[in-house]
Amino acid sequence: MKQQRHWWRSPLTGIPQQSRSAIALVIGLLSLLIAPPALAFCGFYVSQANASLYNQASQVIIARNGDRTVLTMANDYQGDVRNFALVVPLPTLIRQDQVQVSDPEIITRLDQFSAPRLVEYFDENPCDLPARGATRGGNPAQFDDADYATLAAGSHGVTVEAQFSVGEYDIVLLSAQESNGLEAWLRQNHYNIPAGTAPVLAPYIRQNFKFFVAKVNLTEFRANQRQRLRPLMMAYESPRFMLPIRLGMLNAQGPQDLIIYFLTPSGQVELTNYRTVQIPSDFNVPDFVQAEFGSFYNALFHTSHEQANREAGFLEYAWDMSWCDPCAAEPLSATELRKAGAFWVDAQGSGPTNPVFMTRLHLRYGRDRFPEDLSFQTTGNTQNFQGRYIIQHPYREPIDCPAAAGYYREVSDRQQIEAETLAHYTGWTEPEVNAKMNWLTPPSTESDPLRP
Amino acid sequence: MLKDARIAQISFLALFLLLGISTRDWTLRPELLAVLGASCLGMQWVTRSLLPTLRHQPGVKLWAIPSWESALITGLGLCLLLRGNTVATMALAGGAAIASKTLFQYRDKHFFNPANFGIIVALLLTPDAWVSPGQWGTQAWYLMLFVGAGGLVLRWVGRWETSAVFLATYAGLEAVRMFALGWTADVYLHKLMSGSLLLFALFMVTDPRSIPNARQGRFVWAAAVAWLAFLLQEEFFVSTAMFWALFALSPLTPVLDRVWPSARFQWQEPESCATAPSLIHGLGSLE
Repeated sequence: MKQQRHWWRSPLTGIPQQSRSAIALVIGLLSLLIAPPALAFCGFYVSQANASLYNQASQVIIARNGDRTVLTMANDYQGDVRNFALVVPLPTLIRQDQVQVSDPEIITRLDQFSAPRLVEYFDENPCDLPARGATRGGNPAQFDDADYATLAAGSHGVTVEAQFSVGEYDIVLLSAQESNGLEAWLRQNHYNIPAGTAPVLAPYIRQNFKFFVAKVNLTEFRANQRQRLRPLMMAYESPRFMLPIRLGMLNAQGPQDLIIYFLTPSGQVELTNYRTVQIPSDFNVPDFVQAEFGSFYNALFHTSHEQANREAGFLEYAWDMSWCDPCAAEPLSATELRKAGAFWVDAQGSGPTNPVFMTRLHLRYGRDRFPEDLSFQTTGNTQNFQGRYIIQHPYREPIDCPAAAGYYREVSDRQQIEAETLAHYTGWTEPEVNAKMNWLTPPSTESDPLRP
Repeated sequence: MLKDARIAQISFLALFLLLGISTRDWTLRPELLAVLGASCLGMQWVTRSLLPTLRHQPGVKLWAIPSWESALITGLGLCLLLRGNTVATMALAGGAAIASKTLFQYRDKHFFNPANFGIIVALLLTPDAWVSPGQWGTQAWYLMLFVGAGGLVLRWVGRWETSAVFLATYAGLEAVRMFALGWTADVYLHKLMSGSLLLFALFMVTDPRSIPNARQGRFVWAAAVAWLAFLLQEEFFVSTAMFWALFALSPLTPVLDRVWPSARFQWQEPESCATAPSLIHGLGSLE
């Protein structure tokens, strides 16, 4: 355990614990909903399908190097903070100095940096071009090549291993001998846990998992006039590279979205007990998608999820963070990467001496297709990937040169393909898509009302 | 009926590869697949044609690749399983896989499964090699295809009991663990319905040339590999446990062959051991 001090620095302050009246329990992983700003991209970066799109989305950062893991759980708890509680099974026991609260902004940053994005390009006046049909940046193939890259302790066989406060949270670390005891303990301590909890707790207890239980310290929360709960961050060392999702399904209403940002020193992270699939990417979409990028990406994700039999995790982003050319957002600084948990990064350093590879996985899971907890592995895969969709705006000003006819034909064909592609990936019907299309039509020479 | 089960095996492995690429969203780089194939066939030529010619062994044709079918099976197996970033990693894996057949022999029989050896060498010696255990998912359609194709080939070569013992042991150990931990049946089924596990059981742990010759030996062997794979997977959390287990226990083959001596498997010997009817005769007569 001493080793961990070298990689987990946490100047934490203990805050006296207050009595609480927590009556509801949120078990599992919670999320943060954040709005995106617009940032420049090769072309014009116009929109983003960030985590705020999904109703029940959790966001988690997992930074892992060797057996050392820093887990950050975003918190979007919307109810009365008095009722907030969180129970997370951890494969090992952690001490107070291995827990801290994190800055919610870091999750926003990672989300912005990695969210599927829409980029736009504009056709130039075809009359200004040296050759007919050549449009600047108009060919998606060009983009492909450009790699941008106190509690009643001791009772019910439950042991309170540690008890402390971190920021606005009161935290208890429990170990238990049997699940009914743990369930009874939680109820005795006013955690209103869902029915059927004990059978799900049992496998964790038998694998010697510990339970990280957090509630809100109301005095601290009010004293600091906090508007929202900050993410909880914990560091531990375990050969298990996994995320428990079973507890979270107990009180879930339907499928849940989970976005995991992995930071590793080597390469992509993938699921080992479920499929990992790249989200369809790098295709042209009609320009009306700009106004409804959120619903477009939701439909695309839904269709892909259904096609994958609702049992795959989707890769939305994979990138070496030490470089990007150009970047989709301002690259994360070494300080920000450390904030996100990448403990191996030297705060002053940059570049290849501080390798960080980021993987963004998006899962939509339900009890039926995701019975097992998620297991991962870090691979040597350093291929970059991003969910990226392209709008190629047609030139809509009058065109006064012989190239006009050819250009209109070309754009007509292009828009037709864009409409079909959109319908294919989103599951939207073709009439639906066609009705929204902003077709480029040539100025009609036959619009003279006096003509028979 | 084909005289050589290897042709059937090549066809099935090629089919799986095409299915993986077309329906399982694998993002494979064609050049790396080509390197795997070329390095396997190339090393087969070096070890079976070039070196024997240089040593003036009689009856060796320099411009032929003897047993190219075996090399191709190894190449296809690597294409299905091994992932990497660089040509060098793939060439190393392919070359090492085939070279292991010559380098690690006991009484003229190699005891490492070539593809498995290539995978372990790449995992050990390069920073960029990996295996994706989740790549097939758990859809029943694929599992049935694997069982059908694998069953056919195994029936042919008379090694189906190796798969059966491996799977039964692994499933049994997992069942005990799941029951002891208190997980529900769907968690257990999800674990077992892994396409990767089935492919390993049907196409890798059954290689008739490198596993024990006698049926008793194969029982012990398959059970031991399953036990070690289970141990590495569940106690040490090694995601590529199966491959490490097979690698670690491969040197047991010569030992088991000494304990239970039997005739070696030949690919093209339809009357003695490579045909299905021999299975009917049960223990002893097969070999």
